[in-house]
Amino acid sequence: MAHSKNNVVTKNQPNIKFKNTKYNSFEKIQNRNGWLFISFALTLLLIFIFYPILYSFYLSFTSSKGLISKFVGVNNYIKIFSDPMFITALKNTVIFLLCQVPIMLLLALIIASILNDKTVKFRGVFRTGIFLPAVTSLVAYTVLFKMMFSMDGFINSTLMTIHVIKEPIPWLMKPFWARVTLIIAMTWRWTGYNMVFYLAGLQNVPDELYEAAEIDGASKIQQFFKITIPMLKPIIVFTTIMSTIGTLQLFDEPMNLAAGGTTAATIGPGNSLLTLSGYIYNLCFKFMPNFGYAATISYVIVFIVGLLTVIQFKVAGDNN
Amino acid sequence: MRKKALSLLLASSLIFSLTLTACGSKTTETSSEKGSGKLTIWAWDPNFNIKVMEEAKAIYTKDNSKVNIEVVNMAKADVEQKLQTMLQSGVKEGLPDIVLIEDYNAQKYLTAYPGKFANLSDKIKYDDFAKYKESLMTVDGKRYGVPFDSGVAGLFYRTDILEQAGYKAADLNNITWDKFIEIGKQVKAKTGKAMLAFDPADGGVMRIMMQSAGQWYFDEKGNINISKNEVLKEAAKTYKAMIDAGITKPTSGWNEWVAAFNKGDSATVCTGIWIMGSIKAEASQSGKWAVAPVPKLNASSSVNYSNLGGSSWYVLNDSKNKDTAIDFLKKIYDGNNDFYQKILVGQGAFGTYIPAQTGSSYSAADKFFGDQKVFTDMSGWMKQIPSVNYGKYTYEADGAIMAAMADYYSGKATVDQTLSKAEDQVKNQISK
Repeated sequence: MAHSKNNVVTKNQPNIKFKNTKYNSFEKIQNRNGWLFISFALTLLLIFIFYPILYSFYLSFTSSKGLISKFVGVNNYIKIFSDPMFITALKNTVIFLLCQVPIMLLLALIIASILNDKTVKFRGVFRTGIFLPAVTSLVAYTVLFKMMFSMDGFINSTLMTIHVIKEPIPWLMKPFWARVTLIIAMTWRWTGYNMVFYLAGLQNVPDELYEAAEIDGASKIQQFFKITIPMLKPIIVFTTIMSTIGTLQLFDEPMNLAAGGTTAATIGPGNSLLTLSGYIYNLCFKFMPNFGYAATISYVIVFIVGLLTVIQFKVAGDNN
Repeated sequence: MRKKALSLLLASSLIFSLTLTACGSKTTETSSEKGSGKLTIWAWDPNFNIKVMEEAKAIYTKDNSKVNIEVVNMAKADVEQKLQTMLQSGVKEGLPDIVLIEDYNAQKYLTAYPGKFANLSDKIKYDDFAKYKESLMTVDGKRYGVPFDSGVAGLFYRTDILEQAGYKAADLNNITWDKFIEIGKQVKAKTGKAMLAFDPADGGVMRIMMQSAGQWYFDEKGNINISKNEVLKEAAKTYKAMIDAGITKPTSGWNEWVAAFNKGDSATVCTGIWIMGSIKAEASQSGKWAVAPVPKLNASSSVNYSNLGGSSWYVLNDSKNKDTAIDFLKKIYDGNNDFYQKILVGQGAFGTYIPAQTGSSYSAADKFFGDQKVFTDMSGWMKQIPSVNYGKYTYEADGAIMAAMADYYSGKATVDQTLSKAEDQVKNQISK
């Protein structure tokens, strides 16, 4: 910024040389003070943000057993491809990403467009109600879901009383059902959060578009696909990226749904809820502590997030 | 004027807090002589080891009034995380003086953080303790911990439910797992109750089975012993047989598991002695329980005695009051008979200190267990637990096997495939 100002000054007064040098020295003082002012924040940034990023990058080339650590080059990055636990974790994470994110975003979009309709009564109540799960603590809601979905919990007993099922569903006992439970829980928690983004976006869609469409005889469903979705495209891209990043870093929910295994080291039945972050936790605190290999996996997550974000921008983003 | 006053206030408070912290660190630094200073202790169960330590503290500070002991209560996972992060980072401030470590983790910590724990080889009389405890805290001939509680395993059962199915106490004594399943089918048919409260994703019972035959996921030298381990194979088969026979009450996680036998949904629970507190929490079932030795496997080496869990105390080498800490543990845990009687009655803490097991509390009859002399029985079993080397990678192996078991339960894999898949995974995990 200081530089650009300087350029402007020299352009305007190229002939008055002595004044220019005077201004330059003043500029220098300002510059110095400027740096002084930001130096504090900058130091903190360097120590607490950049140093850990660089150090963990270095760590990802080491392998350790507690304090005993050795440099192994790119060995860790090769090893992950033959590590069945890593592949399980990656597979689970991808399953959650592909199943949960589309369901949640579509649901949020539908609810948002319904609640944007001015003829709906008690809109405020519904909006608040659906958003409310987003303010609950991750751990608290997961523990509640774990109780509700237990073998003789609320869900099973309700379904059995209304004769939907005959036998209780083994929600948290079988790998398939454990994943279903997690997806239901996450959808409950995050749909309202995404709905708010869509609602905000819908405020910028002019009513005239809908009026015109109605006059042309478009149905509500046609309006949804031809007006609402295209108009919300940038917001849809944004929420998709945010949800993708969130899912790739998924930790609290699976950990707590599976937690309390009397003495177990698996996360969910047959490791069905093991996510990449869960694996990082296990590598650091449950297994022989290997912070180097754990750092490698966190860099793999960074790489995947970056890649998916670029793809999403390319596929759905504007062309500029 | 107001601004000036405000800045003055800020500056003075800053200086004040700086001097305060300086003073604070000074006081902790000065005390290093034996018999004085502050001891910080980390443990994790407020109804169990925390209370036991409070008891120990009360006894010790009576004679050593200069010592100030603080027992810090955290979740078990938090103790492990905090300890590991601090040891890893190399800081000396903030670490406790004494920490409780689960026996399965002992070898891992001792080898991963060499020099961080105090060598107690010639400070503690290890002959006073159960044999199997000593070996798991020994690394390169040096012994590090002070043995604390035992996880001697038992088959806790409801006498009333079994009677309904036509079984007496003698029918459950020293049985095999096959017999156990057979009884379970009868119980299920006659009472409708499940035989065993059981978490299919939990390897606890599997570890009981293995140790009962003197086997583990690793051999004595620490090499992986999974795919060719006949004992483990039989244990895995028994797991599936129990589930297939429909005699289990499947649960997920600690709370559901405890609820299952507290509500009376299952006739037995097979686990470590530390569960007694949770069993007794349901006062309405008083007099209806009893305990038998665990069932054994068909393998010839298998006996009816085993272990699950248990933990020990360790002193940190960087502790400023190391000598006081060792003195404290030695005086209370290695020599105070009354203390062990007290914690047995108060907390149900079953120590591994053998001289204490002839005391009055150990031979008392327990009303809750139908006047059975529970502790006399269990201390007899404890002495016969086969000693195994847990090695450094128990949780890696447990994680790998229980993950592979899901496919075995559903019939997608055979037992051999399951074990070799688990072995491959453990191999990959520990080749670092």
